[in-house]
Amino acid sequence: MIIANNLSLVYPDKTQALIDVDLNIKAGELVYITGPSGSGKTSLLKLFMGIEYPSTGSLSVMGKPIKNNSKGNIRKIRRNIGPVFQEFKLIKGRTSLENVMIGMRFLGLTPKCIKKEANEALEKVGLGHKKLSKVEHLSWGETQRVAIARAVARKPSLILADEPTGNLDYDNAINILGLLKSFRNENTTVIITTHATHLIMEEQNATFISVDGGRIRIERKG
Amino acid sequence: MRSFLFNMGYFIKESGRIIRLNLLSNIFSVIGTGLILLLLGIIVTGTSVGNRLVVMLNEEAEVNAYFSKELTSEEVEQLIEKITNLDGVRALRIVDEDEAKASMQEILGEEAKILELFDDNPFEAFIEIRIDIEVMNSVIEELRGVDGIEYVRDNQEILEKIKDITYALEILGYLMIAAVGITTVIILSHMIRQGIYNNKEQINTLKLLGSPGIFIGFPYILTGVFLTLLGGIIAVIAMVLLINGAYNSLGATIPFIPLPPKDELITNMVLWLPVLSLILGFFGSLFGLSSIGEKS
Repeated sequence: MIIANNLSLVYPDKTQALIDVDLNIKAGELVYITGPSGSGKTSLLKLFMGIEYPSTGSLSVMGKPIKNNSKGNIRKIRRNIGPVFQEFKLIKGRTSLENVMIGMRFLGLTPKCIKKEANEALEKVGLGHKKLSKVEHLSWGETQRVAIARAVARKPSLILADEPTGNLDYDNAINILGLLKSFRNENTTVIITTHATHLIMEEQNATFISVDGGRIRIERKG
Repeated sequence: MRSFLFNMGYFIKESGRIIRLNLLSNIFSVIGTGLILLLLGIIVTGTSVGNRLVVMLNEEAEVNAYFSKELTSEEVEQLIEKITNLDGVRALRIVDEDEAKASMQEILGEEAKILELFDDNPFEAFIEIRIDIEVMNSVIEELRGVDGIEYVRDNQEILEKIKDITYALEILGYLMIAAVGITTVIILSHMIRQGIYNNKEQINTLKLLGSPGIFIGFPYILTGVFLTLLGGIIAVIAMVLLINGAYNSLGATIPFIPLPPKDELITNMVLWLPVLSLILGFFGSLFGLSSIGEKS
């Protein structure tokens, strides 16, 4: 699913975000990327999405190289990714349903199918009753669930969730992690970044990537 | 393509939303585009009237060839046939001595009395030749070389001026059309850029979700085309009113200007102004869309 060799990322302002990262994440894995703020977790996700390009080394996502690939091909890769952004990136002035549907419109589905799948996704995240609410009228937790619904409704091969537990209390954080984990299957890899390691300590069947100072350490359980 | 067709309803809705998001600014843009297209319509109509005048002047371009008095009528016939076959000769006819005198009397008006001082008719018969102004010089040269022709009165200076005016009018028309076209495209592209700027977060999100450029850009193209078309319709209505008004007031006061038929002008406006506005709208939107770029 994701293979990185000697991957490094240096931002234009010379900040070294990642150093010599070697990774091999397989299809269907559940991966937690942990580390303190500014450790490079989000940078890693940005590389996976082709938002940033590797400075050195190689990176392929779903068999496609990220470095030296055309913008068009990067977008094609993104169509197979369900991202849940830290700041959600939902479109204001639109309903929950419209926000979920907009991420599916360019996947070649019929309008009827898009609506059905979007409704189902909202039901799955427990927001079927708020599908016609404008996203700016939802609570933080509800907004996050809409973002998750948008990600999973696309039936992606890879779900990337950036700090989905940030700003949530313990119970809600556990619920959100449980919800994201529920979308993991043999075809769908789920990668979650979090700095709240206490929430995932009990996890027995996952890969843990801890990032610190741009370097990573991998531990597999189960 | 399939995805594109499936989303046609979405594109139209999005386009409506983009217009509503900045309604007042878009209304001003429509009015501005309408006024520019109206200006273009006026220029094209003016050019059309000017061209008609030029064509008329071109058709009137003529030279007079005087032939030897010794020629028999048979030889004059042969001479006419020879001139007729020259390239650039549109038509010709013989003006005899009496007609030459009568036409001079007409030109002189009250002063024509002076002609009574002559015992005999002082005018000579000549051949009046209408020529193609574009090849004027070569025709005149050839005429001078024809056996039997003694003198060619060519009004070359006037004909050159007509030619220059024709050329200047044509260039002016094209320049004005180009200027108005470019202005429309710039206004429209600015309007589209404004729309893009207002929706930049949405556009960025769509890029992150993997949306193709055409999916992001098409609603903006639709918006640009729709707004320019509206401007075009406003311009057409104003032009029809203007042409009607102008024909009613000018037609009677300056009859010497060869105006084209009113219906022909109106039909042309109704047909090409909306088509032109569609084309300008499309290119203006495309130009404006270039600001979306591919940067994520």
